[in-house]
Amino acid sequence: MALETEGKTDSIFNSTAAQKRKDRILLLLRLVAFLATASATIVMALNKQTNSLVVATIGNNPIKATLTAKFQHTPAFVFFVVANGMASFHNWLILVLEIVGHKIDYKGLRLAIIAIFDMLIVVLAAAGDGAAVFMAELGKNGNSHARWNKICDKFQTFCDHGSGALIASFIGLLLLLIINVISIAKLSKPKSDNTI
Amino acid sequence: MAKTKRLCTLLCRLMALGATISAAIVMATSHEKANFFAVSFEAKYSHTPAFKYFVIANAIVSVYGVLVLFLPSESLLWRLVVALDVVFTLLLTSSISAALAIAQVGRQGNSYAGWLPICGQVPNYCGHVKGALIAGFIGVFLYALLLLYSVHSFLDPLLLRKN
Repeated sequence: MALETEGKTDSIFNSTAAQKRKDRILLLLRLVAFLATASATIVMALNKQTNSLVVATIGNNPIKATLTAKFQHTPAFVFFVVANGMASFHNWLILVLEIVGHKIDYKGLRLAIIAIFDMLIVVLAAAGDGAAVFMAELGKNGNSHARWNKICDKFQTFCDHGSGALIASFIGLLLLLIINVISIAKLSKPKSDNTI
Repeated sequence: MAKTKRLCTLLCRLMALGATISAAIVMATSHEKANFFAVSFEAKYSHTPAFKYFVIANAIVSVYGVLVLFLPSESLLWRLVVALDVVFTLLLTSSISAALAIAQVGRQGNSYAGWLPICGQVPNYCGHVKGALIAGFIGVFLYALLLLYSVHSFLDPLLLRKN
């Protein structure tokens, strides 16, 4: 019992300065993660390149065809856009909740609910990243065993934009994982005041 | 009550271990040679980086599963197990997602990129890979269940304390 009251006074002294700074850092990390996932979604969703290529040669006349590379042609990229869209929506929602609705709580479970949703979104974003990165590797190097030609030499801008979106998404995933770990660590600390 | 809970988690972990081990082994033994118009066609899991990643990820998670089974209960390392559960579920999900993406291209091809499906030439290989992917899916599902259960058992004392 004496230990409990000691802990209470200790945390009251700590709660103003250090706790607020930790909350600000968490908020900042979440903002950067939101920007990363949102930019990954937008860059991949607007990824499109049209190129006219020589398809065949009849006699001395090369036949050109205009081919378009769009992100919708590959289901893996569609899943990537959807997963990152959901991740950025979740980040934006939690940001708004942290900034505006500071007192909204449900039976004291606010931090737990945020941590659980964070975990789900991290798993989803990891799945989207995994699929897209291997699809991009296939497009970049082709697969000689399956007779699949690489497409990056003809659609350079498409590949560049795709790799940019992938890098942004990986940064977002890493930050989201860090945020999740910090939220779970916050959960395990005994709280004496409700201003989290 | 605690005994049945512990038995349930143990059973779940055993099944998840079985699923990941079988996924890794089935994928690693997928191999088929076919002759198609005097062109020799060999399909192996190591030709595709996504399948290699799938095998490696499932192998790592299997080793982790074996190690966790030998952990004595009430040890302090169970908190680390919760964190590692998250990381390994992440790894498993991304590996199965990557393998699924490449397998989908192999089955249906991609007409926009000029990639022909290969399942017509090596149907046994395709069936083998499908089996490995199903085992991988079961592993992911069981690990997700275990993660939810770990979070629940982690939060329960906290909730009881708050109320």
